[in-house]
Amino acid sequence: MSETAKFTEDILSIAREKAQSIISKAQEDVDRILNEAKSNFLREASEIIKTAETEVEAIRRRQVSEARHALKLREQEQKNKILTEVLDQTRKRAAEITVDENRYLQYLTKLSVDGIHEIELENVVLHLNASDAKRFGEKLNREISKQLQKSEQIEFAREPIDSAGGVIISNNDGTVRIVNTFEQRYEALEARLLIEAGKLLFNE
Amino acid sequence: MSGLETIKIIVDAEKEASRMLEEAQRKATEIRKQIDVTIENQRSEALDSAKQKASEITERAEHEGKSEAEKFERDSSGKLRELVANASSKKESAVKKLVELVLS
Repeated sequence: MSETAKFTEDILSIAREKAQSIISKAQEDVDRILNEAKSNFLREASEIIKTAETEVEAIRRRQVSEARHALKLREQEQKNKILTEVLDQTRKRAAEITVDENRYLQYLTKLSVDGIHEIELENVVLHLNASDAKRFGEKLNREISKQLQKSEQIEFAREPIDSAGGVIISNNDGTVRIVNTFEQRYEALEARLLIEAGKLLFNE
Repeated sequence: MSGLETIKIIVDAEKEASRMLEEAQRKATEIRKQIDVTIENQRSEALDSAKQKASEITERAEHEGKSEAEKFERDSSGKLRELVANASSKKESAVKKLVELVLS
């Protein structure tokens, strides 16, 4: 080989090596960048799956919790229905005492005597509804007198009260009143009746 | 070979060397240009696949949760029916006791 041919061959050989090196370097850079990116997006993908796996228990719990809640509401609805029926029936049945004259007179006497003791006055006025005033009047006065130890003065109000039954005990000018009507007693007892009904019906 | 011919051969060789290097640079630039597209494609593929898998996992969980909820519902509905029947059978005696309480 001539000197010239050897020289040009060297030039080309060096150029080939350098060219190969440029391409290899580019390929290495690309591989490195790709590997780094891969590592990042694979981590991203893995996070997506991990999040879904974490949600599995929450999804299951939510479904059961919704079912439990719906059932609790249904249970409460059913219980309320039964409680309402029982309380309505109780109110109705309690009011039926007025039909049994003797029993009702005893009850009215008791309500009156309790009220008179509570009001602690010598002169009291009893307020009845129109039907009770007409039915009992003097009979009630006698029964009350039998049970009172002191000699309280009892009067009956002329104006009837608007009530299903029971009595209001007041002083002469009506400024002090003990209300023992059915409605008031029922209202005062309602919370207790609910608790008692709950115990009796549902052992609560 | 004359001196002039020798110089021409060397100049041609250097031109060829220069062309080789330019070609290599062009290829390197081309390789580097491809990387963004490659990364985006691979990322997109990996994330799509992960989302698909995640969706399958949650769908399965929904299905399993629903089955569990239905089972719970079946078991509990029986208990509720029993509770209602039991309470209904006690209604009359409860009314009697409550009436006593009201009238006491």
